[in-house]
Amino acid sequence: MVEQEYRELNEAAMTSSTATMPLPAPRAREVRRRSPAFGLAAPATLFVVLALLGPLALMFRYSLNRFVPGQMMVEALTLANYQKFFADSFYQDVLFTTLWVSGVSTILCLLAGFPVAYFLVRQASAKWKGRLLLLIILPLLMGNAVRTAAWMVILGDKGMFNAAIGTLGLAPMKLMYTPLAVIIGLVSVMLPFMIVTLQSVLEGIDENLESAAASLGAGHLTILKRVVLPLALPGLLAGTMLCFILSMNAYATPVLIGGPSFHMMAPTVYQQVAKAMNWPFGAALAFVLMAVTLVLTTAANMLVQRHYRRWSE
Amino acid sequence: MGPIAVNRIYAALSALVLAFVVLPLVAIVWVSFFANKILSFPPTGYTLSWYARAWAQDAFRDGFITSVQTALCAVVISLALGVPASLALVRYRFPGRDAIQTLLLAPMIVPGIVGGAALFMAFIELEVLFDVEIAGTLPGLLVAHGLIALPWTVRLVTASLAGTNRSFEEAAASLGAGPLTVFFRVTLPLIKPALVAAALFSFVISFIDLEKSIFLVGPGRTTLQIALVSYLEWNLDSTVAAVAAVQILIIGALLLVSDRYARLARAF
Repeated sequence: MVEQEYRELNEAAMTSSTATMPLPAPRAREVRRRSPAFGLAAPATLFVVLALLGPLALMFRYSLNRFVPGQMMVEALTLANYQKFFADSFYQDVLFTTLWVSGVSTILCLLAGFPVAYFLVRQASAKWKGRLLLLIILPLLMGNAVRTAAWMVILGDKGMFNAAIGTLGLAPMKLMYTPLAVIIGLVSVMLPFMIVTLQSVLEGIDENLESAAASLGAGHLTILKRVVLPLALPGLLAGTMLCFILSMNAYATPVLIGGPSFHMMAPTVYQQVAKAMNWPFGAALAFVLMAVTLVLTTAANMLVQRHYRRWSE
Repeated sequence: MGPIAVNRIYAALSALVLAFVVLPLVAIVWVSFFANKILSFPPTGYTLSWYARAWAQDAFRDGFITSVQTALCAVVISLALGVPASLALVRYRFPGRDAIQTLLLAPMIVPGIVGGAALFMAFIELEVLFDVEIAGTLPGLLVAHGLIALPWTVRLVTASLAGTNRSFEEAAASLGAGPLTVFFRVTLPLIKPALVAAALFSFVISFIDLEKSIFLVGPGRTTLQIALVSYLEWNLDSTVAAVAAVQILIIGALLLVSDRYARLARAF
């Protein structure tokens, strides 16, 4: 029962953020009629198969090839590229950096995003909610290049932040090319996703539950812990996973704000494929990145689901 | 802690977070007007000359033109493929419908760098097989940009179709209109807001794409985002701030128009 309920809530949460819209069932008459649906859906389907699935399959095949310097790629069926990844401490460090930077950024997003979502749903008037949501989403769509440039203006050695603390008589801080700067940049990219996801889940929680808890003497923190968070858990999870996936795959922020000696996975994939022209290894890196992300998000999902069962009993 | 204090804490935290999200963009627009020769704070005065200088840079001007061309084509591709597919997904039940819906939204979920690398390899493979040039050409770029815009169109248009009243279409059909007439005279006008939003959104998604394009640009054919990133790797000055400010203005305007037709928050 609880699992079923959880799954439904979870699906509802995913709907609002990443996954598909629920569609109404078509009427019976159309089912019987010879349907033109295939003809309508075929071009788009074919396009995605050819431009996404095919190339991904090809890249997976390439990840099993052998790289010979000067010759680029030699046909083979070997796991050597994957072994190289797990044997080379440099690439392990890259993965480790990617993981901890993504983990920290995601947690910060959750902590910063929840109050905003709660404020929007419970306190802001309908008119302001719309305006504030727009204000949160607009920066998201300005593009990674522009947003990263903006952070460089603020965090640079002679940037706005250091100029501001300089007028207060403080010594300038080294921010650019530090993991902290990358985390700041990533959080600003992912926060809007988190806020929009959480907002749509909190929207579905009956405010009377909170009023009832309050009238029985619960303080705000108790209400959060015992009423709001358990009900919002699927949404929290959906938002968290979305942010984690986004930051695992971040490109512009680590390259520009992290600097030349800061390595994360996505820039390394680019470097191997487009610069070093080592396609087999670059392909293997891409699949390691996707696999690690998938395993971690699935594990988190299962863990939270078990927790949720205990919580609601 | 009384309820009013709690409310104030939420309001204050929200204001802080909002500032964190919006402030960088305000800062870069501000910097684009600085008169300082070398970027530093505070400004010694204000000037518009950086805008002229940005337009005089080949990389930015050509990149801007390529980006606009690419984005316009991406709009056409994503609508031409996405609208019929959305119609099939919402109005008909057929085997594999759920799978196709998942597939059409997949380009949104596969990481940009991974999808870009895969497409790049496939293009080079095709180039070798058929002796044509694809990577680094406009058609190659268009495949990538059509792909990333498509899921947004499908998502906005299916949502709108699911919300329209079927009786209008049935009434038209019962009065003798053929399927095409029904589609063009009834269905399309009904979902027009979603179509406008999908077109504007596709434009923006294509215009700001960086991760996929970075594999597919060639010498003499660079999108604005790639031009910005390659410039930023070596310099940070008010020229780049001027480009950023223009981009913020254009995208902001498009999104505000788009929001009048379909709530942006619902697209996520």
